[in-house]
Amino acid sequence: MSDYKHIGKDFVPPDIMGKVTGKAKYAEDFRVDGMVYARMYTSPMAHGRVTNIDTSAAEAMEGVVGILTAEDVPATDAPSAAILTNTPAYIGDPILAVAAEDEKTAENALASIRIDIEPLPFVTDPLDSLVAGGPDAREEGNVYVRSQEGSGFRTVKWTKEQVDEFRAGREPGGEYANEWSYGDLEKGFADARVIIEEPFVTIGYAHMSMEPRTAMAYWQNGTCYMHASCQSQSFFMPGLAAMLGVETKDVVLISENTGGGFGSKIGAYPIVGLAGYFSKKIGRPVQLRVTREQEYYMGSARVGFQGWIKIGFAADGRATAADVFIVEDIGPNATGGDASSAGGAISLVYDPEAMRFRGLPILTNTTPRGAQRGPGQNQIAAVMAPLMDKAAKQLGIDRLQIRRVNAVQNDTTVYAGQEPVTSAYMDEALQQGAEMFDWETRKNQAKRNGSKVRGLGIGQGYHSAGTNGFDGLVRITPDGKIHLHSGIGNLGTYSFASTSRVAAEVLKCEWDDCVIHHGSTEANLPWNSYQAGSVSTFTQTRTNYVAAMDAVDKMKRIAAETLGGTPDDYDIDGQRVFRIGTPAQGMSYGAVAARAIQLGGAYSGQTYPEDIHEITQRSVQNLAGSGLIGVAKDKLERNGVIPGLACAFVEIELDLETGKYDILDYVGIADCGTVLHPQGLAQQMKGGAVWGMGMAGLERHVYDPQNGLPANVGFHECRIPTYMDVPSVIQVGAVDLPDPQNPVGARGIGEPAMGCSVAALTSAISDALDGHIFGRTPISADMIVNHVAGLDQSFKPLQTNNS
Amino acid sequence: MASFDVMPDMQLYQPVELDDALNLADRYAADGWILGGGQDTYGWLKDRAKHPQAMIDLNGIEALRGIRDSADGIEIGAATTLREIIRDKRINRDYRLLSDAAATVASPQIRNVGTLGGNLVQDARCWYYRRGLSCYRAGGNTCYADTPDGINREHCIFGASRCVAVTPSDTATAMVALEATMVVQSVAGERTVSAEDFFVGPDTHITQMTSLEPGEILTAVRIPAKWAGKKFYFEKIADRNVWDFALVSIAVAMSMDGDTIGDSRFVCGGVACTPHRLRHVENAARGKSLSDESADAVASIAADGARPLNANQYKLPMMENLVRRAMRA
Amino acid sequence: MNPRLSRRRFIKAVIASSAAAAANSGITSAVAKDRPTGAVERLISLNINGRTRRVDVLPQEMLAYTLRYKLGLTGTKIGCNRGECGACTVIIDGVTNYSCSTLTHSVRSRKVLTIEGLQSAEGALHPVQQAFIDELSPQCGFCTPGQVMSAVALLEENPTPTREEARQALSGNLCRCGAYDHYLNGVMRASGQNS
Repeated sequence: MSDYKHIGKDFVPPDIMGKVTGKAKYAEDFRVDGMVYARMYTSPMAHGRVTNIDTSAAEAMEGVVGILTAEDVPATDAPSAAILTNTPAYIGDPILAVAAEDEKTAENALASIRIDIEPLPFVTDPLDSLVAGGPDAREEGNVYVRSQEGSGFRTVKWTKEQVDEFRAGREPGGEYANEWSYGDLEKGFADARVIIEEPFVTIGYAHMSMEPRTAMAYWQNGTCYMHASCQSQSFFMPGLAAMLGVETKDVVLISENTGGGFGSKIGAYPIVGLAGYFSKKIGRPVQLRVTREQEYYMGSARVGFQGWIKIGFAADGRATAADVFIVEDIGPNATGGDASSAGGAISLVYDPEAMRFRGLPILTNTTPRGAQRGPGQNQIAAVMAPLMDKAAKQLGIDRLQIRRVNAVQNDTTVYAGQEPVTSAYMDEALQQGAEMFDWETRKNQAKRNGSKVRGLGIGQGYHSAGTNGFDGLVRITPDGKIHLHSGIGNLGTYSFASTSRVAAEVLKCEWDDCVIHHGSTEANLPWNSYQAGSVSTFTQTRTNYVAAMDAVDKMKRIAAETLGGTPDDYDIDGQRVFRIGTPAQGMSYGAVAARAIQLGGAYSGQTYPEDIHEITQRSVQNLAGSGLIGVAKDKLERNGVIPGLACAFVEIELDLETGKYDILDYVGIADCGTVLHPQGLAQQMKGGAVWGMGMAGLERHVYDPQNGLPANVGFHECRIPTYMDVPSVIQVGAVDLPDPQNPVGARGIGEPAMGCSVAALTSAISDALDGHIFGRTPISADMIVNHVAGLDQSFKPLQTNNS
Repeated sequence: MASFDVMPDMQLYQPVELDDALNLADRYAADGWILGGGQDTYGWLKDRAKHPQAMIDLNGIEALRGIRDSADGIEIGAATTLREIIRDKRINRDYRLLSDAAATVASPQIRNVGTLGGNLVQDARCWYYRRGLSCYRAGGNTCYADTPDGINREHCIFGASRCVAVTPSDTATAMVALEATMVVQSVAGERTVSAEDFFVGPDTHITQMTSLEPGEILTAVRIPAKWAGKKFYFEKIADRNVWDFALVSIAVAMSMDGDTIGDSRFVCGGVACTPHRLRHVENAARGKSLSDESADAVASIAADGARPLNANQYKLPMMENLVRRAMRA
Repeated sequence: MNPRLSRRRFIKAVIASSAAAAANSGITSAVAKDRPTGAVERLISLNINGRTRRVDVLPQEMLAYTLRYKLGLTGTKIGCNRGECGACTVIIDGVTNYSCSTLTHSVRSRKVLTIEGLQSAEGALHPVQQAFIDELSPQCGFCTPGQVMSAVALLEENPTPTREEARQALSGNLCRCGAYDHYLNGVMRASGQNS
């Protein structure tokens, strides 16, 4: 397709009106008759065993309706997160919940509950657990390995000397759990002119979505109605149903708007189960609004890295070999798995001729981890950028050039299996960014002005940006309306709408005649992808495409059946199907829809393809007979890794006396294939840039190693970037070259938008400090001041979760 | 422990006469919570980490609001908002140090309702203390921060005495620099105390940040004309540029004779439990001009006597640098 | 004497130990006998979006709570309940406040404007709302009502702010999606200036 009517054009997403008027409903904005309010008692101890629970005072309180404990919910096996637990593994792990007629009474009840907990050993820094004799976060072991061959606990200990060597920045010599490699590593290093070897730490930190998640559940005739804050809609359902012990047909999930997710609300999380079981137990609708502090505890967090990397470069800057070792902090529930993704990102973004990845996932008694915007890719992007600069400096080549010479291209092969990519235009992105930023002029400008030093940085971001195999569902009704059913979720990217526009494009219809159905299972949604991992754009444009193509095919067949000829004699335009050559001979979409209902069968959804998911099947069954149904599973070609790519150029002015820096200019360029929604793309690129700025300089977990206490449970201490910490103007652009494996050429971008930012900043800070590499995020003002003053940093090498 | 979000029941008084407020303060004493803008109050109460029986809201008392002439300078009612101070023409003309400091407090919405009195008497931000742990400041017998592995990046480098918390108030440093007098009232009458003596360290009173006793209300602040229109310097270094408390801040008032510094007041925030006056810097600055050379000379002694904890030695150079910046031409 | 004060002085009704009031009226009146001067009554009138609303308010109740849970005005969001995010921002007598950190009793006799009060009687959007749509300012939208209210208060006072003034004025509103640039574009557009 080309000369698009909708693709690449801005539009007013249907949900934005509610957002600016306050009418948009988030999970907590719903109330139902008889609803009671639940509150959780969460563990005060980093690791322990509950020995006694005394709720007698709470139960005697007027207005207290019920109490839910671990005995009331299905047990889970460690290390999986439990809905409620008697063996809490982090401060904030939910132990029980109380429901009352109002929130104040629920909290009064909580205050009266006495819980005895026997303390168990705990650990907040993976290396403290790794060292011989160190504590383990779980009684079953300190390492949890997930693999296709079988997952399980292990106990891995290194000698103190091995840990000390690692801390000192030398190649780790201890046991590891995962490994993959390609190419001849030894030869790669032998071929290198320059070899860079550095240790690094990226401290994990909380997602801290704006909306503290709420779950509200009630049961009617065996069906559980669940209001929740989810970044996926259909994809959330199987996990939710399994958690509740029912089938997906017995759950209605309402999630019209979601106040941010960033990876923390992809699949069902424990409090939805809590609300469901609590409601079932007491026979009343139960709403659980978590506090901000609890959102910190159970709202997920980025995996922390402690690692070592060695990379070799040939004289022209080409990466010849990369060897990376990452200890990853997977929290108490063994969630995350970022490290291998980081290795994959190295293989793709810097394309070393040979590479080895080794990883060791270690459990800690800190908040549960999970996917956070660019999980793995963005941590390593922050690490790599200053190393690329260092290599360029030692080789005497331009910092832009070393990135260009290694840039992923259409014929690059990536990952352990050296797979192809669907398309990649990183070099084009770098060139476009360099021009917009005027790299050539800026790199020669004066750096020092009094106590202030200018630093320039270049960053690159990557995330695999698409998947396939989901279903599309469109419907045309006799009133001529085109109904686009989207089960992707509504995270705030507007992609539920922008990807639906592909169906409108295929159907050549006016956007005003389209109605998007989303936000509730009862809206008859298809089985759609998770809204995460930058996949929505690539994946959902395909599902909408195949569904719309099915509708077009059916319209032509109906026209042929009704007006004569064969389907190939017909075409569509102007919301009519008409005979090629004699356009007056045709039917309006409304008329075709009415005819589809008459004809029945597949035309109106009485029958449907066998390969569509049961969730799609049920939706089609519900819709059958209401119009012309276009429904199909995405079986389009997909061969290789789908890269979402971005690069950023940044100029900062760093004050050596205060350790603070201003971001003077930021240019971000996306390589996301064809631009689907320009304003939406700009939002993702700029929002990602802000996230990168937070990771580079501000956000981090802080845990007191003495007692396991988290020091930052609110927005304030988590240092979420404000208006005044980021530039008021962020410039963005896009390469806008189509990906051949997507019907409209589009790929995703949400995560690389952040990775390029954090990388550009670590690069710029290093540049401002004469190439000094902190090897750590975040880089805070105290670190910069210590460095400038020639003082030691206040943390041990590779220490994490510090202040 | 539970995580709380809703205040338990308590009494609220909104008197319109100061006498009524003083009577209530007297009656409730330590069980009463004097309420200014409330921005340092509600978190404590929602967390159920403090348990007053009653809040005594001063905002309806007109006598506690406004900026007026005094016998020697100006008097600012304690319930005057930071917004009013930042926008006041006279303060901006004569006592810019105060409005500059007030403008760095928290966020616009907090400055809109936060009062001068509330900003001055706000409690310590030590995160262990705020979590409701039973530390020295909370009446217990330990300090969690002052240990080899304590998380104490934001804690003090001067004046540790069992507690190592710092003053979080941006306006307090300005008040000490401006030699302000605090007007304190109770049913027993009025007393005045210099800003320097008003703020107390843990060696004086470990559970209080000021010399206010239960039953007393800070009603006004008087700033003498002595420093009106002098050379001022205020700077605050914080992690984020909104909301965050100072890692280190400095408030400086200098009386200039041509290019030469005469009397001066150098006061740092974020380095001690009280606004920390740098008398040795003031002495060293006397007779010097504002220049890079004198800045370097004076800055080098700024942090003398500091005793950093394990994670806050950066405060020494940061403090020296702020003195250096104040001394530059 | 100003009317606000006389109004407050006049308050002589049943009092407000919420614990007592919550239990039963007998205890309430018993406490009322030695009611100290200035204690608040519970049933109060609030001026919300130009309308007078009678509502039963606990002494320690926060405005965000009253708005959302007693008056059904759920456009005001609670993101932190600690004055650390701005999602609950409302305008009180022309000035932005965190409604999560404002006692409902402190807004008696004051004018409270929430996101629900911005549209005209005919339903026309406020220019800030329209500009936020045009610039695709919101992402997840949870902070948006607060951003709108801060922008509205700014433009009331300063109809043509610079971008930097807008940035300062909105700086007490967090946006975790990082849509700051788009919100500022919206403010500039709403003020009739090119962003």
